[in-house]
Amino acid sequence: MQKGAAVKVILIAIVVAAITTAIAIFLPWLPASDSKEGDRIDVAIWFVTGICILVWAVVAAIFLYSIVAFRARPDDDTDGPPIHGHTGLEITWTAIPFVLVTAIGILSAVILAKNGDTPKNALKVNVLGEQFAWNFTYPTYNNLQSTTLRLPINRTTKLEMTSRDVIHSFYVPQFRQKQDLLPGQTTTINVTPTKLGHYVIQCAELCGLGHAVMLGQVVVMTQASFDKWAHGSSTATQGGGAAAGKALFTNNGCASCHTFAPAGATGKIGPDLDKLPQYAQQAGKPLETFVRESIEDPSAYIQPGYPNVMPPFKNLPAQQIDQLVSFLTKGSS
Amino acid sequence: MTSVAEPHEQHYAPAAGPPSRWHWLFGPGWIRAAWMSALFAGIGLGIVVLLRWWGGYEPILQTETCVTVSLLTALPVGFLAGLGAFDYWVHYFLGKPTQPDDHSGHGAKTWKDYFRVNTDHKVIGIQYVTTTIFFFFAGGLLAMLVRAELARPGMQFTDTETYNGLFSAHASLMIFLFVIPAFAGLANFVIPLMIGAPDMAFPRLNALSFWLLPIAGTMMLSSFLVDGGPFAAGWTGYPTLSTSLPLGQTFFNMAVQWAGASSVMTALNFLVTIITMRAPGMTFWRMPLLVWANFTTSLLVVLATPFIAGSQFMVLFDRIMGTHYFDPHLGGYTLGYQHIFWFYSHPAVYIMMLPGFGIASEVISVFARKPIFGYRLMALSLCAIVVLGFSVWAHHMFVAGMAPWLRVPMMITTLLIGVPTGIKVFSWLATTWEGRIHFTAPMLWALGFLSMFVIGGLSGIYLASVPVDIHVSDTYFVVAHIHYVLFGGSLFTIFAGIYYWFPKMTGRMYDERLAKIHFWITLVAFNATFFPMHLTGTQGMMRRYADHGPRFENWNLFMSIASFVLGASFVLFLYNMINSWARGPRAPGNPWRALTLEWQVSSPPPLFNFDEIPQVVGSPYEYGVPGARHAVLAGEPAGELQEARH
Repeated sequence: MQKGAAVKVILIAIVVAAITTAIAIFLPWLPASDSKEGDRIDVAIWFVTGICILVWAVVAAIFLYSIVAFRARPDDDTDGPPIHGHTGLEITWTAIPFVLVTAIGILSAVILAKNGDTPKNALKVNVLGEQFAWNFTYPTYNNLQSTTLRLPINRTTKLEMTSRDVIHSFYVPQFRQKQDLLPGQTTTINVTPTKLGHYVIQCAELCGLGHAVMLGQVVVMTQASFDKWAHGSSTATQGGGAAAGKALFTNNGCASCHTFAPAGATGKIGPDLDKLPQYAQQAGKPLETFVRESIEDPSAYIQPGYPNVMPPFKNLPAQQIDQLVSFLTKGSS
Repeated sequence: MTSVAEPHEQHYAPAAGPPSRWHWLFGPGWIRAAWMSALFAGIGLGIVVLLRWWGGYEPILQTETCVTVSLLTALPVGFLAGLGAFDYWVHYFLGKPTQPDDHSGHGAKTWKDYFRVNTDHKVIGIQYVTTTIFFFFAGGLLAMLVRAELARPGMQFTDTETYNGLFSAHASLMIFLFVIPAFAGLANFVIPLMIGAPDMAFPRLNALSFWLLPIAGTMMLSSFLVDGGPFAAGWTGYPTLSTSLPLGQTFFNMAVQWAGASSVMTALNFLVTIITMRAPGMTFWRMPLLVWANFTTSLLVVLATPFIAGSQFMVLFDRIMGTHYFDPHLGGYTLGYQHIFWFYSHPAVYIMMLPGFGIASEVISVFARKPIFGYRLMALSLCAIVVLGFSVWAHHMFVAGMAPWLRVPMMITTLLIGVPTGIKVFSWLATTWEGRIHFTAPMLWALGFLSMFVIGGLSGIYLASVPVDIHVSDTYFVVAHIHYVLFGGSLFTIFAGIYYWFPKMTGRMYDERLAKIHFWITLVAFNATFFPMHLTGTQGMMRRYADHGPRFENWNLFMSIASFVLGASFVLFLYNMINSWARGPRAPGNPWRALTLEWQVSSPPPLFNFDEIPQVVGSPYEYGVPGARHAVLAGEPAGELQEARH
């Protein structure tokens, strides 16, 4: 290889590397990391990005130089020099990638291990996924239930997750953490939020026709306001009346699929519950019987135009079902 | 003495006089296929009804069972039998006189010969390629519908159930009915020629392999017509979603069986052909890299495909037979499916890429007018990928909830598989170095592959690192990655191959200018469609969402418009192919001045490829070596042979 070619290739590589690095730095392709785990994962992302820019610059430079410098004239029917190989080069481009990927492997394994460590004071939250809603239970707070995941800032929360039906996946892009929820099995993941605010949980595993709307809320709050919330609302569902019905409606995830004005719900997957009396008439049943049956055994009557996907809720306590039925019956008529 | 091909002129006379006047009805062909399909479907239905009535199962006409047995199993068997795929074997079983040397089903004189069971590997190759192009357009149209729905926030013209079906069928068609069989089709045409053989080892099995494909494809497409819509659990079909979806899912379970059977039979055929039918002098180290690529691919297919067949049968049994492989409430193990599925489907990624590596090696060497750089390491890296390919499956499951200890070993093997892949990329680059590069259409596609595949390979490094994967898995970053690998990788090499061998297959030249325009539009539109997906993916745009709300509105509109241009570019291809096949200028035997054997015979090749089996005397890539020969064909002077040998 001529010396001139080597210099040109190196120059092209530097230009390509500079352009790619500028793109990587100035284009907003990563959301801000708002968790300790996310900060560590970002180290891995930038490390891999650096190595990829290096490899890309070398390959692109050789490629670009080659296709410009060695293009044949249309009437050129000669052959190139019969170079069959070069043992030194072949060893080089086996060894260097080997070293680079090993480095990535070691760094990744260390970060993975650190993110898997759960400190002793971690808050435990049980997560239940179902088509198409998120439910959270705080075992250390009298089994407090919530459809919004409330987390104290700067404290590790260990999520212990399972699914009622199909596979779902818990993912908050700003936390960088993702973990599938499996039926019949518990999976765990740690999250240590570092910034106050609201985040969206996106279901990351195809779970049926409501997959795109299986979005949950995360609120990161100070430890003090978290404590206040946790102690205040663990008694909210105890009372009677419409407030209890509404809380049950929200806590059981009804709102993610159904529209129901009294609960402020606007879901579009399932039937519009403001029209319950009309549906009951179509099903040929008294309103209250119909509502109860539709909660306990939703497949018994399927409103035309809607899919048969709602899970049965017959294992709710009888008192809660009564409260839900009365909330739905009164609210819709 | 050199071995001489059998004199094929001595055909046996048909066994029993002139054909009877009922031949149109009972002879092999589409009429018999029609009534035998109906007959077999009826028998299948009858068996189900009889057994259910006898056993006292209610309801007797249970839809899913009836459909599975009658329409998805018995009907296709009847179709194949009617078409004549089993005639020879049935005659043999029944003790009737068979004619092993009957070549009446060999070769194509008119276009009608492409629509029957044909035992000529060249006809089968063209059958494969045209069929897969058909399903490529079908799968592409589904992708256009997906992009059209995503162009604006909110649901426009599909509901979410249909949307899930659209992307599931898109992926399934592209994988099982386009990329895998398109490579098998190209190889079917080329491999026997390349190794100096008159045909594949098992021509009748070869014919059967092809005819399973239209069955699988039709089955996938017809799922759009059934109650409850098409299969909608993605091409990955994870339970317990796939075990709880309506009837359409069964069409996927069964279509994969038919396509998988086709793959396995073809792969066995390639293995036996490559091992036993190489021309004298064609040692393993003199095989063109495409032959190496198909040899290693076939190993993967034979060893891995039974796993996906098993996984789909288990889902099917859970659905219709009351088994509980994946139902955790009755002792099943939901995650088990993913291990079995990916034990096939990761090697499948290499099944979809290694033949493309082979095509790229042929094309780049010929059009750079240089020997392939580091030939032996190129072949050995294919073997390394085969071995490592079986040890990386669980990198698809880093967030799936599998045993945590498995993640690091799987990450290491996944990163290591980048090493042999890197060797190939650098060797192709070194092959172009100081070459005389001719930018013909096949070369443009091969170089396009090289550059796009590097991007796909680098995004693969991101996905291999477990912590990074935890963030980007199931986002559009993955969608971008697989399209850079399967579109920028596999598809670009398929089109390199189609343009490269078009003169050999059809005996005509394609329109070079149109082919180049096709390439450049595809290249630009491809990048405009898929590159932004990396960025939206890392920002958290989720894969398989029917709607993304207003958050990625502008990007989505941009990607959709680009994807329509991308789709439209293939209309140019179609026009070029059809027009050139009908009216293109006659192709010479060796328009590319290539050394491999398929170019040393006429275009299209003679019925049995070679008048005499050629004698291979050297490497297939000796460009620039004065007087070097790869092979000597009948009628050529053998005097210069000795000096070319080394």
